[in-house]
Amino acid sequence: MKTPRFKMWVAAAAASSLFLTACSAGASDSGESAKKDSMTIAFTAEPANLDFTSTSGVAIPEALMENVYESLVRVDGDGEIQPALAKDWDISDDRKTYTFHLQDGVKFSDGSDLTSEDVKFSYERVQKDWKNALKSKMDIVDSIKTPDDLTVEIALKKPSNTWLFNLTSLVGAVFDTQGTGDLSNTAIGTGPYAIEKFTRGQSIDFAARDDYWGEKPKVKNVEFKYFKDAVSASNALKSGEIDVVSNLQAPELAGEFQSKDYQIISGTTNGEVVLSMNNAKGIFKDKKAREAVMYAVDRKAVLDTAWAGYGELIGSMVPPTDPYYEDLTGVWKYDPQKAKDLVSEAGIAGEKFTFTVPNLPYAKAISEIVSSQLEAVGLKADIKTQEFPAVWLDKTFTKHDFDMSVINHAEPRDILTVFSKDYYIGYDDSKIKKIAEKADTGTEEEYISGMKDIAKTITDDAASDFLFLFPNLVIAKSDVSGIPANRVSDAFRIADLSWN
Amino acid sequence: MSQNPSPASSGETNPRNVVTADGIPAAASAEGTTAPGTTAPGTAAPEAAVRPSRRTGVDQRKRTLLRLNASMVIGAVLVILIFALALVSFLWTPYDPSAVDPVARLQSSSLEHPFGTDMFGRDTLTWVMYGARITLMVGIVAVGIALLIGTPIGVIAALFAQYPWGAWIGAVIMRANDILLAFPALLLAIIFAAVYQPGTGPAMVAVGIAAIPGFARVARSGTMQVLGSEYVRAARASNRRVPAIALFHVLPNIAGMVIVQASVAFAISILAEAGLSFLGLGTQAPVPSWGRMLQESQQFLSTHPGLALWPGLFIALAVLGFNLLGDGLRDRFDPKMEARGNG
Amino acid sequence: MITYVANRALQFALSLIVASVAVFALMSLLPGNAAQVALGTNATPEAVAALEAQYGLDQPPVLRYFDWMGGMLTGDFGTSYVTGAAITPVIVGSVQVTGILVIASIVLAILIAVPLGTFAALEQRNWIGVTISALSQIGIAVPNFLAAIILVMVFSLTLGWFPSQGWMAPVEGVGGFLVRLVLPVVSLALVQAAILTRYVRSAVLDVMREDYIRTARAKGLTRTKALFVHGLRNAAIPVVTVAGVQLATLLVGAVIIEQIFVIPGIGSELVRAVANRDLVAVQGIVMVLVLLVLVINLIVDVLYPIIDPRIRTAA
Repeated sequence: MKTPRFKMWVAAAAASSLFLTACSAGASDSGESAKKDSMTIAFTAEPANLDFTSTSGVAIPEALMENVYESLVRVDGDGEIQPALAKDWDISDDRKTYTFHLQDGVKFSDGSDLTSEDVKFSYERVQKDWKNALKSKMDIVDSIKTPDDLTVEIALKKPSNTWLFNLTSLVGAVFDTQGTGDLSNTAIGTGPYAIEKFTRGQSIDFAARDDYWGEKPKVKNVEFKYFKDAVSASNALKSGEIDVVSNLQAPELAGEFQSKDYQIISGTTNGEVVLSMNNAKGIFKDKKAREAVMYAVDRKAVLDTAWAGYGELIGSMVPPTDPYYEDLTGVWKYDPQKAKDLVSEAGIAGEKFTFTVPNLPYAKAISEIVSSQLEAVGLKADIKTQEFPAVWLDKTFTKHDFDMSVINHAEPRDILTVFSKDYYIGYDDSKIKKIAEKADTGTEEEYISGMKDIAKTITDDAASDFLFLFPNLVIAKSDVSGIPANRVSDAFRIADLSWN
Repeated sequence: MSQNPSPASSGETNPRNVVTADGIPAAASAEGTTAPGTTAPGTAAPEAAVRPSRRTGVDQRKRTLLRLNASMVIGAVLVILIFALALVSFLWTPYDPSAVDPVARLQSSSLEHPFGTDMFGRDTLTWVMYGARITLMVGIVAVGIALLIGTPIGVIAALFAQYPWGAWIGAVIMRANDILLAFPALLLAIIFAAVYQPGTGPAMVAVGIAAIPGFARVARSGTMQVLGSEYVRAARASNRRVPAIALFHVLPNIAGMVIVQASVAFAISILAEAGLSFLGLGTQAPVPSWGRMLQESQQFLSTHPGLALWPGLFIALAVLGFNLLGDGLRDRFDPKMEARGNG
Repeated sequence: MITYVANRALQFALSLIVASVAVFALMSLLPGNAAQVALGTNATPEAVAALEAQYGLDQPPVLRYFDWMGGMLTGDFGTSYVTGAAITPVIVGSVQVTGILVIASIVLAILIAVPLGTFAALEQRNWIGVTISALSQIGIAVPNFLAAIILVMVFSLTLGWFPSQGWMAPVEGVGGFLVRLVLPVVSLALVQAAILTRYVRSAVLDVMREDYIRTARAKGLTRTKALFVHGLRNAAIPVVTVAGVQLATLLVGAVIIEQIFVIPGIGSELVRAVANRDLVAVQGIVMVLVLLVLVINLIVDVLYPIIDPRIRTAA
């Protein structure tokens, strides 16, 4: 009897002493010395795999675009198109043929050289093999020719003002002709970094490439670490385990970092947070009902309470970084009395409607204050929280089974997609369709004025309520530099990051 | 194994009877009696556990009641407090729970807002009062499901076991019960939330289903003991029919144990709802719930700890209340405690 | 003894089959589907249908069930729709993580609860016993995630002794592994210890009333000594029972702690798989969890007769 019991106590003592030594080991673990050539960045949305050609969502391009894969062109923080793999390009007079001249001496991470064949292969593959529905952005491509190793000629079916910009997104990614065998698990690109280790659901380790064609990245090892919970990410930053929180999903926490040790960056994104209304059926088919919502919602109060005031009021489906941005915040001014009048005019006072809310932090917070503001003018929202993505995509997005919803439409320049007839909002696009066609094929000035027209029409129609522009809220240690203030592309560019 | 009339059936000797509610060991069922099964292997008069306590002297009972009062009274007071909060919320709350006031957001305790306000400027006291409703509803529904399904299962399994021809049926029932035990509440809740969408409903049904085996076991072992007792043997000898025995002898005598189990299961379901809400699988907006309040107050923990303090405190008080009440009731219903009082 | 174990093993196998049917049936109720989630906001119905066919979702359920069972028997849980990778290694890896976490927590809980509970029983009438009982009541009433959050605030953010999150496999570095293990394990163990303390106290109280302890005391042993010499073996039965149940419950129950500390355990994998509607993964994970619970129960059942010879004869 005595012996085993004694053993147990000894084991206990040994275990506790192990814990003690572990503590001291841990303290030296996070020492300052090795830090300057590595950086850890926290993200929220985790990639299920590495293949954005078959899996949608922001997580994969966020990690891979511009870091591992590159396109011919990229977009900078001001929304301007810049050269990338193409050092320059010519556009034919009929604006239908683009001739790209590739950078010399570009190597893929598997050692092979980039040639025009790789570009042709990649872009033809978009239509042929991609499952990601964004592939439609390449529908306009007619043919691709490769006159020599460093020249690519792409002919379009018709002139387009949007195609070159679309090429900065993931559809423009250039793959190695030999490198698409196992896209889910291996990513071979021309970018400044290569993936060293991908731990599904946890992290991606990037290592800087010595043979990168462009300017060498400054931080050798970068780790993307995925946190479902914003509080855990913020704690990890506070205790020094990570260096940057890329997009803080609990903006109230930002206040805790107002010290000289940290920097708070609040820039813009392409994400319009839309209080979407079903234009095609139900209570909001009536324009009066939609107008009532526009007057009933105090967007400033929504932004201040639900998202701690980070973000920008926009009033339309266009972020300020787009060339056709126009301040439309004055079109619908908060006016609960007018809203009440419209509610009684439309005869919908006290009528219940379905407000489907994806279970995302911003959406849940917004739904609480918006439903309260709507109730104040006599509109009764029946809130249905839906799991995102699975259920929201199925019920609200695909089956259009909703009256009102709220979602951040994060794609760049997505106004025409979101407000096309078949999209879940069911906007009657007959008015804007013609303008859009003309704008895309016209000159750049015609394009900009046409798109402005479209944005104004949609806002005037009270098609949906544009609550605010989702902020790019980044918290970083103060000695990190090179974090872009604005997120205007798919990518989180790590090549510009450095330690001061 | 004197309380076990038919040791042939395999389930009988299984001492794993402490399991309650969702498979979490009944926190409080430890107090007083080690739940029925654990004493089963022992030889010390297991029959006593359910026998009506008329044999004990009045004098001794008085003393016991006095001594028991501590946990029962504190427990009862806490439980009544929670019920009172919920009931009052139907008649009156300081504010409308959905009334937002962006100007008055994140205030600390004051005369206007004794518990402060949340990120939308809503009154936290109002929310705590409304939250009591959800907490109680989850407990009542979950325990109701478990009690109404679990208890008959246990009684029936025990009754069947009385007959040579029915022993296998009793065994099969308890086997099925054991399989259910392999699906813990949280696992069921995660799946239910996916199937039926996250919400209070699926959460409380999941917690309730997971609590069935606990009730079935308590009811079965209680029934076994009652059926083995002398006066039931006498009743059977005088040809009373089994349903009558079940109704007039078994149910009244196991009621105490079942109530104890209910009280403990109630405490567990409160914790389960809080945990599920923390995962986003419990009560959803805009319904006020303590679990959701706690989850949403996380980002304010360093700046406005009061937001987490109040729901956290009330969850703890409710759990404590039901556990203590369960303890008190157990001591009341279980004469073994009285025996201990002597020793 | 042998028939007892054989009997239990047979029940175990039957339970497993019934459970597998239940799991499979539950899964077929899930709304939303993997193809749609994979294709996202831009999917066309044709693309969704094509991907469904590729996943084999268009086959009859009975066929899919036997496919799945056949695979599992050979240790192959199939290939995830979402990640395109085999599921078996994911399950094995995350079970190891949760296993370490949960076992460490239970061991710590036992180390806390056995001395405390025994002490509380021996001193039941004075303030020490009452204090321990009261503390354990409070310990049970505090949700473990609240304990975790407070521990992080104190020991990580304020004192800086431990990291606030993260996981490191022991092979990557024992120091890093242990230092990351402390806070999650303590968060889980505190509540379990509180529960266990009450069982130990109660079991010791029961044992103290037993005749053989009284006899031993009559022979002149002190109460404590009598208990240590004769009683602990008997008190071990409820402890083993409760610890077994706790172990089983925590396999999934640890998910909240896993999320707070960003630990890649089986519960987190389950939540992720459900969110992605990764049916193959959800089925596999649920099945493994059920299997583990059944195995734990089996082990506990087999342990009883070893601890307590009287059960052997009874069976």
